[in-house]
This record gives sequence, C-alpha cells and structure tokens, in this order.
Amino acid sequence: MAKRILVVDDEVRYQRLLDANLRTDGYEVVAASNGLEAIEIFSSQPIDLILLDIMMPELDGFKTCERIREYSNVPIIMLTAKGDEKDRVRGLDLGADDYLTKPFSATELLARVRAVLRRAQVSSEITQVRYFTHGDIRVDFARAEVWRDGANEPIPFSATEYRLFLQFVHNAGKILSAEELLTAIWGPDYRDEKEILWVSIARLRQKLEVEPHAPTHIITRAGLGYIMPSDDEN
Amino acid sequence: MKLSDRALEYRFWQDAVYEKDWKNALDFLIESLRDELVFDNLAIYIIDENGKRSEIAYARAIGREKNAEADASWGEEIADKVMLKNEIVFDSPSEEESSSKRVANPYLAGMPLMASGKLIGILSLIRFGGPVYTQEDISVALLAAVVIAYIFEKRALQESIIALEKVQRQMRLQDDFVSTISHELRTPLGFIKGYSTTLLRDDTEWDEETRREFLTIIDEEADHLTGLIENILESARLQSQTFDMNFQPLRLDVLVRDIITRVHARYENFEIVFTNYSEKIIQGDNTRLAQVFENLFSNTVKYAPKSKIEISIKNEDGNLLKVSFSDSGAGISEEHLPFIFDRFYRVPDQPKKAGTGLGLFISKRIIEAHHGKIWAESDAKKGTRFIILLPTEQNN
Repeated sequence: MAKRILVVDDEVRYQRLLDANLRTDGYEVVAASNGLEAIEIFSSQPIDLILLDIMMPELDGFKTCERIREYSNVPIIMLTAKGDEKDRVRGLDLGADDYLTKPFSATELLARVRAVLRRAQVSSEITQVRYFTHGDIRVDFARAEVWRDGANEPIPFSATEYRLFLQFVHNAGKILSAEELLTAIWGPDYRDEKEILWVSIARLRQKLEVEPHAPTHIITRAGLGYIMPSDDEN
Repeated sequence: MKLSDRALEYRFWQDAVYEKDWKNALDFLIESLRDELVFDNLAIYIIDENGKRSEIAYARAIGREKNAEADASWGEEIADKVMLKNEIVFDSPSEEESSSKRVANPYLAGMPLMASGKLIGILSLIRFGGPVYTQEDISVALLAAVVIAYIFEKRALQESIIALEKVQRQMRLQDDFVSTISHELRTPLGFIKGYSTTLLRDDTEWDEETRREFLTIIDEEADHLTGLIENILESARLQSQTFDMNFQPLRLDVLVRDIITRVHARYENFEIVFTNYSEKIIQGDNTRLAQVFENLFSNTVKYAPKSKIEISIKNEDGNLLKVSFSDSGAGISEEHLPFIFDRFYRVPDQPKKAGTGLGLFISKRIIEAHHGKIWAESDAKKGTRFIILLPTEQNN
C-alpha cells in the first residue's frame, strides 16, 4: 500500500513542490497550511510521515511537533532554514526524526524521505494514542485539552498547569518527587522551591478534582512526592 | 492641629509612590507640605550628571508676594551654598532688613536632596518676612526632602528606562533584519533550487504543462529575488546618503496615472479611484517618486488584498500638494503605527508576508529629499490612509 505523507507548509509553492516530487515516487500526499490543520488531518487519517515547516501561522512547526509527540511516534522531518543550527537542534530535541534544510534539491528530499521511512519500518509500528483517560478525566493530546466527563468545555488549565498535569499522565503509577517535578516544569534553579509546587498542585486539584480535599487523580505520598495512581489502583 | 509624625509621613509618601508622573507627585507633596510648613516660594534644583552644575527642575510661588514673580528670590544663592557644603544652610536677614524690604530680604533654607549615595539636588524654601525656621519646621522640611529625592530618583530611573528601550528597539530591529532578510532571500532561492532540481531529475519525465508551470515559478521567483536585492541596496545607499536625486519639473498627477496603468496591467481586478484637483508643477525625481507610489501599491496588494484604493491630489495652503492614498483594509493597529517608517520595522505576527521592512523607510527618505512629509493614519474600520505633502514650484 502506498505510504501517505502529510506535507505542512503555508507556502503554496512549497506544497506544490513537495507534492509533485513525492507523487512521482509513489507516495500519497496530503497537504496542510498550518500546525492546527496538520493535527486535525493527522487525527483523522493514517499518516506514515510528516514533512513539517517551522515558520507558520496559527501553530508553528515546533509546537506542532511537540504536541504530536505527546501521543504519537509518527516519523517527522522538519523543514528548517540553512545555517540555523539552533532550529535544527531544537527540532531534534522536540522529537523530530530528521531535518531538511531549505533550499533543498528534489533528489535530497526524496532520499531523506526514503531513509526516514526505512528506519521507521525497522524500529517499530507507529503508535498513536490520541486520548488518555483517568477516572472521570480525559486528555485530548491533539488539542491539548483536558475534559471532565459530561462537561461542556475543557478544564481551563494554564500552560504551566497543563505541562505539570502531563508529567503525571506520562508517568501514571509512578511516584514523582517534588525535585523531579520542579526541575521538569520550572527548571533546575527551582528544584528547592517546594512552596511553588504546593501552590500549583493545590490549584491543579481545584480544577481537576470533584473534591479537592479528597483527590483521586493526584495523590500525595508523604515524604516521597506525588502520584497519579494507575487505573487498577483506583 | 499638626499631624502626628506617622500620619504626616504617610501623607507625604503615598502620592510619591502612587503617582506615575513626577510633577503630579510633587504637586501633591507640596500641597501637603504647605499645610505643615509656612513658605512663600519653593524651588528644587537638580544637579547635572557631572555633579558640577545645578538646574532648576521645579518651582512654585504659593504664599505672599506671589505678584513679585521673577523679582523675588528663588534661593539660587543658597542652593549653591548647599552644593558646596553638602548640608542644610539657612540664611536670615537682620531684623531691620527684614521689616524694610520683605521681598528683597527673604528667610532662606536650603536642604540637600540625597539619593543613591550622593547629592542629587537642593530643596530651597523661601519665606518673605519670616518667621525664622523652627526645629519642627526643619524636621518637616527634611522629611519632604527625602520624599522629593525619591521622586527625582524615580524620574531618573524612568528616563533611563525610556532611553534604554529606545536603544533596545533599534538593536532588535537590526537583529530582526538579519533574520528577516535571510528568510526573505532564502524563500525565492528555495523555490528556484527546488523547482530546477525537480526539472533536472533524471528518473522522471514531466509533461509539457508541468514543465512550463515550474519554469514560470522559477522565472517569477528570480524576479522577486532581484527586487529584494535592489531594495536592500537602495536602503543601504539611502542610509549612507550616497544617493543622487535627479530633480526636474513634473506633474504629479501624470506620474500617478502612469503608475496606475502599470499596476492595472499586473493586477487586473484592482479597483483604483483617482481624483485630481491640481495640475501644479513640482520639482521632483520621477523615478524615485514612482518608487514611492509603487511601494504603496505593493503594500496594499500584500496587506489589504481585494481592498479598493482611493487616491486624490489637492492643493494645500503654503504652496503644497497633498496626496492622499487610502485603502479599506484591516488597518494598522495603534501600537505599530508610529514605527512603520522605521528602517527594518515590520508589523509583527504576519509570518511569511514577504517584505523587508524597508519599503516605507525608503519612501520616507525619498519624500524628505523632496522637502516633503509622509505619514499614515489608520482605523480598523476604515483602513489605512497615507498622506504625502510635497512643495510645489513657487510660481504656478
């Protein structure tokens, strides 16, 4: 079956360039002109590889990559500007598999695509879990939203609260120490600022828990840290 | 009844801390001070950066002898003494002098204003005809001096923030320019490279229609690149003042009509309404002025596509021609409007709208070289209006 490639670039002429070349090599091509559109398309149909530009309106390439990596290991090739080492490093750090620097030649593009697809085949199946549920709470990674059963709108988390909550989601069933959480969210300088974490956990519970004083999602383990109990413990 | 020390301190401080504007803060403080202490004139001298000279920064005539105005003492002499001694100085006339000529022989008190470990200024209090300053007067005045020093220190900080922000903005524009320009140049280059290597692929045959499509893109992008490079060089020349103007008598309406014809050739569906009320002749450089209008048109194509353009040329008092060029697009927001003529400035959050932030800068320089003016007015509902004033030849 033909591999399907999602091309994300807001310049129509780049879309056309990638589309024309990829099709001659037997790929199916779907195009999106910004990150939000890309995530919607990616959620609604099987995609084997994403070619992702960085500078885009709505949601830029970095944020798109980061968000997709919350729930999927689909191969991603970033389209970066030449000489911008910072962008390349950042893309790879966010989980991109490779990068292609603009300007690029048609043959280089096709070679990179073949190489990344080959590696992806060897390594593993593409896994993609868009949703995560925990009790009455459901996380939609693609939209970066957290919903409570039966609610009309997502829980209004701030960006930091969402990132803190994701730490628990990705480590469900594991105890996370205050130092680990502080370092992960606020950086190493904050590792001893326990009060900041206390306030943040309290605020998270206010929004997350039906009864903030009897939490079921984020539980304190005295002297050790915090845990999101795995579902069988619940 | 006198206020207790605490209540007085509170009253002196609250406005000083609360008010953003230093003059308001001082006005409130002086008002409160006047309730506690008798004085007729008050002057504040601030010492310059080298610590050598003092300049008057604030003065109020409040009490008796208001009419004496400039004739009355403002305590300059005592300010100089305070600067020398760096301590409180009093100067009282003899009984006899005092009663005979009140205005000419005032009771003076000079208080040093200290902040950040040094003398930053002097507070002078002037009483016409006494009474002599009491110990209590002095302690109230000293408290006022501390608050005044705080207010001026805050002013100095505010001023340096403004100065720093200006420098920072210029630096950011330079930085942005480097990244914008490299992105701008790389975009057409990327298409040229991408589409030409696509055509050169030896593992694929392209049909004639596709080949033409790709070659057209390559051709257009090469033109785009040329235009960008021209613009960058032009701005460099304008910046270094090494550009020549070729002035000759011309009719602006003829020039504008000419450009409209050209614009219509490129963008057929562009609606342009041109009204001319003047046939006066100006001294101008045809090519450069054409550049200004072409730039305005290309901005509209970019930022207000589908918008109608209205242009008018009118006579204006003082031998001037006034050109108005308006679109009905989304407008430019108030926070960006003051900067759009700055070199490299681009309204943020419009990724990939092609542009270098040079077009309006170049236009402004050209208009200024004609001894004219250009500015913009904008309204989110009505769109953007550029106005150009150009001097006409005196005898027509």
